[in-house]
Amino acid sequence: MFKELDPILHSQLRLAVMSLLISVREAEFNFIREKTNATAGNLSVQLNKLKDVGYIDITKQFKDNYPLTTCRISPKGIDAFDQYVKDLQQYLDRRTL
Amino acid sequence: MEENKPFTANDSLAVIQQMINTARREQQDSGKGWIIWGWLLFTASISSFINMYTGTFSQYFFWNLFGLLTLAMLVYSVAIALLGKSKERIKTYTGELYRRLNIGFFITLMLIIVSINTGVTPTKGFALLMALYGFWALIYGATSNFRPSIYGSYFTWACALAAMFVHDFRWTMLLHGIAVLGGYIIPGHTANYQYRKTRKTNV
Repeated sequence: MFKELDPILHSQLRLAVMSLLISVREAEFNFIREKTNATAGNLSVQLNKLKDVGYIDITKQFKDNYPLTTCRISPKGIDAFDQYVKDLQQYLDRRTL
Repeated sequence: MEENKPFTANDSLAVIQQMINTARREQQDSGKGWIIWGWLLFTASISSFINMYTGTFSQYFFWNLFGLLTLAMLVYSVAIALLGKSKERIKTYTGELYRRLNIGFFITLMLIIVSINTGVTPTKGFALLMALYGFWALIYGATSNFRPSIYGSYFTWACALAAMFVHDFRWTMLLHGIAVLGGYIIPGHTANYQYRKTRKTNV
């Protein structure tokens, strides 16, 4: 049914992450976790999946001796998100016909 | 949020909408900057206006106080930035734009203040300052789609224009105070009211 939709984005948590990142320049891991209500482990796995396909960039550094992970959407991610929304729109239009 | 849960097209739309709204709420300005600077400028203007009638202090006493306070706040902001103690968890494009424009704003502000001290009359110098406040309010209002600031900028420019034709510094101070009230304080409190209202409805 959703074959034409990007399988990487068509997942609740990954789509939530991408929707959050599309609106900001970059966001900290804890911020994303808090806003998506995801567990740290699950979020970490999904972020890596998005990173592996080049949709997001992840930067790891230290702040006050604590690890700080920040994520930002890549140009490829913006294109993919844009395409996903268009496909979704098409699907919904077709369904209402 | 759970993974591997059946996920429909409507769910997708709901997630996108929810997350974009969350990010938007996070970026909403509390208006505190406008309120703090607005009231400081207003107090300095009106105190100077009254002082020029009573003659209690020297003419620029309140502006010197304001300058010292600004310097202290600037040192504090730089220290926070250098020590990396900022609690900002997201960086936004508009936030980045404001930071850069803030630098331009303060450089222009300083140049006008220097011009007042090197030959430009204070009446004209403060009129130029009002024009600059209006420009900043317009940028903020246009980028954040916040109408009170856009109207505030028009109001501030009207006060700036009126101040160009004033020759008595007392009336310049009164106009300056009124300009700040309409351009900074009222939009600032409006933004703060909306901010608190949004936070309350999303608890």
